[in-house]
Amino acid sequence: MKLPPSVSRTGRALLVPLTTVVIAFVVAGLVMGLTGTNPFKTYVSIFDGTGLNWLFPWVGGQTRTIASQDLQQTLVATAPLILTGLAVAFAFRAGLFNIGAQGQYTVGSVLAIWVGTSFTHMNPVLHIVASIVAAALIGGAWAALAGWLKAVVGTHEVISTIMLNWIAIWVATYLFQENGPLQGKQALGNPVSNTLPNNVHLPVFWGNPALQGLDVGIFIGLAAAVVFWAIMNRSTLGYEVRAVGHNPDAARGAGINVARNYVVTMAICGAFAGLASSVDVLGWQFQVSTADISGSQVGFLGIAVALLGRNTAIGTVAAALLFGALETGTAADNINASVINPELAPQLTLIIEGLVVLLVSTDLIAVRLLGLPRRLGLGRPEPGADLAQALEPDDAAAQAAAVEGFDAGPATTGL
Amino acid sequence: MTTVTKQPPRVAAPTTKQIGIVAVVLAAIAWVLTLPPIMARTPVPSIVLGVTAAVIGVAVLRDSNHRRLGGVTVAIGLIAIPLAIAMTNQTSANVREVFTWSAVVASGLTFATPLIWAALGGIISERSGVVNVGLEGMMLVGCYFGIFGADVCSSWVLGMLIGMASGGLLGLLHAYFSIHLRANQVVSGVAINLLATGITGYLFVAHYGDNGTPGTLPQVPNVTLPVIDHITFLDDAVGRQTNLLTWVGLLLVPVVWWYLFRTRAGLRLRAIGEQPRAASTVGLKVVATRYGAVVTSGMLAALGGVYLSDGFDGSFNFDMTDGRGFIALAAVIFGKWNPFGALAATILFGFSTALAYRLQTFSQTLGTLFQALPYVLTLIAVAGLIGRSRPPAASGIPYVKE
Amino acid sequence: MLTIADRVTVLRRGRSMGTVPRSGATEQSLARMVVGRDVIFRVEKQSAKPAGPILTVEDLRVLDDRGLDAVRGATLTVRAGEIVALAGVDGNGQSELVQAITGIRPPVGGRIEVDGVDVTGRGVRAAGTAGIAHIAEDRHRIGLVLPFTLAENLALRRYRAAPLSRFGWLNPKAFFTLAKRLLGAFDVRGGDPGTPAAALSGGNQQKLCIAREIDSDPKLLVAHQPTRGLDVGAIEFVHSQLIEQRDAGKGVLLVSLESEEVRSLADRILVIYEGRIVAEFPPDASEEELGIAMTGGTVAAA
Repeated sequence: MKLPPSVSRTGRALLVPLTTVVIAFVVAGLVMGLTGTNPFKTYVSIFDGTGLNWLFPWVGGQTRTIASQDLQQTLVATAPLILTGLAVAFAFRAGLFNIGAQGQYTVGSVLAIWVGTSFTHMNPVLHIVASIVAAALIGGAWAALAGWLKAVVGTHEVISTIMLNWIAIWVATYLFQENGPLQGKQALGNPVSNTLPNNVHLPVFWGNPALQGLDVGIFIGLAAAVVFWAIMNRSTLGYEVRAVGHNPDAARGAGINVARNYVVTMAICGAFAGLASSVDVLGWQFQVSTADISGSQVGFLGIAVALLGRNTAIGTVAAALLFGALETGTAADNINASVINPELAPQLTLIIEGLVVLLVSTDLIAVRLLGLPRRLGLGRPEPGADLAQALEPDDAAAQAAAVEGFDAGPATTGL
Repeated sequence: MTTVTKQPPRVAAPTTKQIGIVAVVLAAIAWVLTLPPIMARTPVPSIVLGVTAAVIGVAVLRDSNHRRLGGVTVAIGLIAIPLAIAMTNQTSANVREVFTWSAVVASGLTFATPLIWAALGGIISERSGVVNVGLEGMMLVGCYFGIFGADVCSSWVLGMLIGMASGGLLGLLHAYFSIHLRANQVVSGVAINLLATGITGYLFVAHYGDNGTPGTLPQVPNVTLPVIDHITFLDDAVGRQTNLLTWVGLLLVPVVWWYLFRTRAGLRLRAIGEQPRAASTVGLKVVATRYGAVVTSGMLAALGGVYLSDGFDGSFNFDMTDGRGFIALAAVIFGKWNPFGALAATILFGFSTALAYRLQTFSQTLGTLFQALPYVLTLIAVAGLIGRSRPPAASGIPYVKE
Repeated sequence: MLTIADRVTVLRRGRSMGTVPRSGATEQSLARMVVGRDVIFRVEKQSAKPAGPILTVEDLRVLDDRGLDAVRGATLTVRAGEIVALAGVDGNGQSELVQAITGIRPPVGGRIEVDGVDVTGRGVRAAGTAGIAHIAEDRHRIGLVLPFTLAENLALRRYRAAPLSRFGWLNPKAFFTLAKRLLGAFDVRGGDPGTPAAALSGGNQQKLCIAREIDSDPKLLVAHQPTRGLDVGAIEFVHSQLIEQRDAGKGVLLVSLESEEVRSLADRILVIYEGRIVAEFPPDASEEELGIAMTGGTVAAA
């Protein structure tokens, strides 16, 4: 299938992600059909569950009210996904694979809830800011540890961030568990932290705070995306990060301190992940339980969000919105139980997410279906190409990349 | 012409490295003095040894070539001190219960087994030049289909084969995307993990519903070794309670090593992972070999999954691999893409996990904190001993035929 | 080419310049077709007018990646206004020597001075500030960030300072202006400032490196195998740039494995063998003399 030449370049560029998502939905629909669920009704139900039908002017009355609540949920779920997505994407741009967003998120939520529930005599606005900043700082420090280990002793960041994830999770579980040092005073046998006082909640600006309306966390996420873009594309730091990501040897040859770059990059990533936790804790959780710690996937999903968003700011925001909508649309209480088993729906989300990410891993759609030129893997941030060289302290991969030719495109890593 | 050559000194002065290693040994002794079977009831000898090791470590640190060794020496020397104090503060019955070494070995092997399988899979795939971040997903489908097969066919052998086939299929998908479509292998691997979580969850709900997998299924059996099951210590450690898949996994380590480094086929595989273009020029089949390696990798990882579900647990649950695939990935890097190195990593990890569980005897509250021990130890070991590691040169780079 | 091919087709600026049978082709005639005019293989240059020393390297010791001795007490001087060629068989410490001089690799002993400023082990930035420019041995690996645009590559030495950046923030317009100027001045073809460097031909990539390095107005230009893998036109360009720099009163240290290049460009030839400078020759030294010195033979040094 080739597109007629009348379709503009931007039109084609937009078609790629759209087609990707459509194909993923079709394949997932086939899975449903084969297992005896009606895919059309399911998709309508999921769509209504996301609240995106609120955007249709003809939807009114009670449905509209519910839709607005669902849309608020979708956006509440989107905010932390943007932030963890940025946490992973920033590292990819520097050629680092940050699997550790989950751990950075976890230490962030510990500090966010601790600061938020301590210092009760603080000015509320300052208190909120202090809690957010504390979460970002500890997340940054936690991630910087991995960057430091890579810079100083050459420890592969994949190992260190995986280990730091689990260390964070167990330490946090210890803190909030029964008789743990940070278990809430009112918790009475529940493994949960103190509860945030009302004046330390992020303000809700759309919907009913009691029904978990939309808090300003989404703006923190969007602002972070803008900051990400500005640092990456308009600052000397971002220029250095990209240079190191593409070719650490050339960066070193140009006088860039590659080791320092790894530490700074990871610190920024961790700060994004820490922010994500503060948005959740101050936005709607208001307390942290051991189940929250072990059950959270937002950091891991950040990897998929970043990859789907091709490690750009705008792409990450769009991917986070898609993932947030899917999670909300398939949440058990949003799904019509007569259409699909509410337990099945979240699994469906994972399948769709997996398919989408799988399809973006290659130029399949762009090249074969839409007739776009094969991406050269240049100029655009390609996580793999960057990775190959950054994971590669010596010269082999860089050489190989040069030898392999540039049409090797978006796909090298030296794990 | 006569020249007077200086006599080499009779006893060569010990190198910094040797001194450091002696200090590490001292620190290790400090660790075990208060544990069974020695069970010293005073921390003093351990403290003396630990401090000595740490002091030597500081000296080693000053040699810029051996910073890492020095750091490790100081760390383990100093850790020995609170450890010894803690142990001597506990009742000796408690200490004996926690450090029942035969039980530690038995449960350490349990924790290590799924990792060994997945890590071997990871090594084979990466040695051929394809990064496999999807190990986690391949294990997970092994978990589900192992149980499913055992249930449907009423046979653990068929369960194992079906589980293996499911991992192979997922490997084939990864291979198709990363080799044929030249996908970004990290992205494809992450996708594989998401897909596997979704597919197994979906099928689990659709097929088993709320009741979960049946309680009594034909499970992969434990092996009772003749003779050894009558020898003290060994009987409890490995004589009776060790799973068939554990033994096979352990045996596979030297087999895979021998294949990679002592056979022509292994040499070809490594050549393709280092210099695919050169390998292709001399007539090696890059694409076919990589397909084979990735599919094999999926099958091996899936068998690790089968062990988890049908070997150890006897049931399946959502996302039951719980990050083990990533630990295996870490083991691959830790072991520098060598089966024995990866084995060392999985053993370190498995045994410290086992110890962490047993340490809960001392304190339920602190027990949770001890759960972090395997990860802390792995991190220290990697930072302290392994350092920089170099992956196969072409790993992650799609092969484009000229 | 001339020994294998039956016919030779020459492409220039995207068009075929004609096909000739092998029998009718000579190196000279092909070169003319490739470049579009006569190529002088023998480089024409005025005799050097060297001034005071720009680079002084004393008893330099450098280790290689494996921690083994690569440079074992090298001593050399490059004066302003001369081209000093460092000849030697590959792997005799040239790379490590260059990396030490340019600040990439800290030496373990000895001293490097640029125009009186001690830069020993002070890093790339200090070397650059002191006036060292570096045309890297491998433009793909060290010289360029291939996925970066031409503008971004040209900025690699200057992005830290105004006008390219202020207070840590980049000025895209200044990037563009710089790129426009340099692409024009050095006749880099095949792309505009926004084109990724990987899209250029090897010769144009090398021009990009040279443009960036020469534009930093160095006192000393270190050119490490600057013509490797280039076509004749590009080689000629590189050679003329090096001579131009020399005539502008700069010191040039040329590291080359090709004795013809060494003999035609250099004002003095130093031979490196096993990490030491073992001999010095005038440019009219015979190929044989050089060869013997390069392989560790003992012909009395001039």
